[in-house]
Amino acid sequence: MRALLDRFRPARTRRSHQMEAQVNPALAAQGIGIVMEFPNGNERLRVLHGVDIEVPYGQLTMLVGPSGCGKTTLLSILSGTLSATDGVAAVMGQRLDLMGDNQLVTFRRRYIGFIFQQYNLIPTLTAAENAAIPLIANGTPWEDAVGRSSRLMEQLGLAGHTGKLPRQLSGGQQQRVAIVRALAHEPALVVCDEPTAALDAEAGQAVMGLLDEAAADSRRAVLVVTHDDRIFPFADRIVRMEDGRMAAGSQP
Amino acid sequence: MGKGLFGMIAVALKMLMGDRVKYLGLVFGIAFATLLMTQQMSIFVGLLTWGANPVLDVRQAQLWAMDPRVDQPDEGQPVSDAMLYRVRSVDGVAWAVPYFRSTATLKTVEGQLAAVTLVGVDNQSMIGLPADNLAEATQAIRGRNAMIVDRNNAYLIWPDGRDPVGQVAEINDNRVTITGTTSALTTFAGLPTVYMKFTDAIAITPPERNKLSFILLSAKPGTNIEELKARISQTTGLKVLTRDEFAAAGTQFIIDNTGIPASFGTAIFLGVLVAIVITALTLAMFIQENLKNFGALKAIGVTNSQILVMVLSQALLVGFIGYGLGIGGTAAFLTFGADSPGLRGFSLLGEIVGWSAVGVAAIVVGSALLSVRRVLRMDPAIVFRG
Ligand SMILES: Nc1ncnc2c1ncn2[C@@H]1O[C@H](COP(=O)(O)OP(=O)(O)O)[C@@H](O)[C@H]1O
Ligand SMILES: [Mg+2]
Repeated sequence: MRALLDRFRPARTRRSHQMEAQVNPALAAQGIGIVMEFPNGNERLRVLHGVDIEVPYGQLTMLVGPSGCGKTTLLSILSGTLSATDGVAAVMGQRLDLMGDNQLVTFRRRYIGFIFQQYNLIPTLTAAENAAIPLIANGTPWEDAVGRSSRLMEQLGLAGHTGKLPRQLSGGQQQRVAIVRALAHEPALVVCDEPTAALDAEAGQAVMGLLDEAAADSRRAVLVVTHDDRIFPFADRIVRMEDGRMAAGSQP
Repeated sequence: MGKGLFGMIAVALKMLMGDRVKYLGLVFGIAFATLLMTQQMSIFVGLLTWGANPVLDVRQAQLWAMDPRVDQPDEGQPVSDAMLYRVRSVDGVAWAVPYFRSTATLKTVEGQLAAVTLVGVDNQSMIGLPADNLAEATQAIRGRNAMIVDRNNAYLIWPDGRDPVGQVAEINDNRVTITGTTSALTTFAGLPTVYMKFTDAIAITPPERNKLSFILLSAKPGTNIEELKARISQTTGLKVLTRDEFAAAGTQFIIDNTGIPASFGTAIFLGVLVAIVITALTLAMFIQENLKNFGALKAIGVTNSQILVMVLSQALLVGFIGYGLGIGGTAAFLTFGADSPGLRGFSLLGEIVGWSAVGVAAIVVGSALLSVRRVLRMDPAIVFRG
């Protein structure tokens, strides 16, 4: 089975030179000189040109910029779902760029929470079961996991929805369930890509309120990628990108 | 992969079972295909067994000697009477008895004609009578022109279902009296089998034909069977087959001379095809619809090994349930059909149960592996892209 699985493992490009790392363990997440190139025909398309970024604990960091500037790519690299062509990516002071694939998967499962634009809840699982998935994947027995996610849902204003299927919930409610899922295993870093893009203003505000609360915990950082300026007020920090680089004057 | 695996299997099963249409589609697709395959295989094997049954019904005969041109047990080529004595004189032969088997036409008192398989058994030993009701039949057959009939197929002679015992009938203008019944194994020819003493049977058969269809014999203990067969052939020019060999020849005759293998082969092939197509397509569709959710699971930290086990569990779940329903259906069909003449003696063989389980498992696992490839290859970062 191992041989079979190996065949489906994406080829990782090993860095030609490892950068002198100045990883700051006091940061939840950090990128130093991140370069990302995608194959584009015979050429390589460079979409990140040596980006530095810092994501501190206890804050909601917002990564903003025009569509196509590389926000999603950077978020993917910082959350260990995509390997950069070059540069250092660290979470909790641990170098993601030095980890093997198996290590990365385990690391994501333990320490990172994910929120997607399309919620990606499993349609045939109840809200509480969906929210319990990171716990279940980490080995918590089913009943315990669902119990914990149900309590968390109640704390976060979703009491009464625990037993519902995703299609019985509004978009905003589904995204809030997805937030509970991202928080259930108490990760150090929560990443969200355009969490309000599919929602109306009111639902978007509710979702952001929840993320704001999550970021108030000093053991946690929330990184939100967005180009929705209605939600900028929820940010503790705003990092601006332009065309694969940090915008002039933007803090790292 | 260990930690969290059972939980993720539970997630996978809920994922599929909650999708009623695909879940039931898979279960019933596999059930239907299993039913089709195992039922057709059972009938096929049953029909082939019918070809061997004339041999299998003669339990005492260890070896059959016959004209070299004979290739199946339902009808022999007559050999000369003298052969019987020559076979008996071969070193290593414990006993040898005559056996007559031929198609005849029986006329009831009402003048109804019915084709029958007429068997003549050795007057002294009665070797050739079926085991069923043997003691009574042995007594009942002793009288002149007494006849024992296979009660399972007696309705082909007397469609009104009357008790055959006591009936009189004619074969070639010779009066015969039915004095008893027995239960014969169903033969491929499908005719009712009737039994008389060897001398009676040949007496009522047209004289232009020699009357000794087969010589049944047994070896003395400790005799090498292959050497004995060779010795008899050398002495008499007859072909000699063991019980198993001749039974197999009866089966082979059906394979070679009927369209049965082709038509059943087609049905079984269609069953396999239905199973493959339904399973592969439905599973692929299910995976495709859930691709983004699988991607989300991968991002969250579910490993490729766990994903593989999840999809295999889904496939094996529907495979298991569908197979169970299908086998159950075939078993019910054969149980309830056991009384119908077309299915007599058919049963669900362990080999069919086993091989169809292997087949279904191979199909569902194969389909799972085919459709899971996309998930395994998928880059988890893809879920961040619209
Ligand atoms: N897998 C990929 N292959 C090729 N090009 C890609 C891939 N992913 C992203 N890009 C390109 O990289 C650039 C940045 O994309 P993205 O990070 O999604 O931007 P944003 O999230 O800011 O809209 C875009 O030009 C996009 O077309
Ligand atoms: Mg984007």
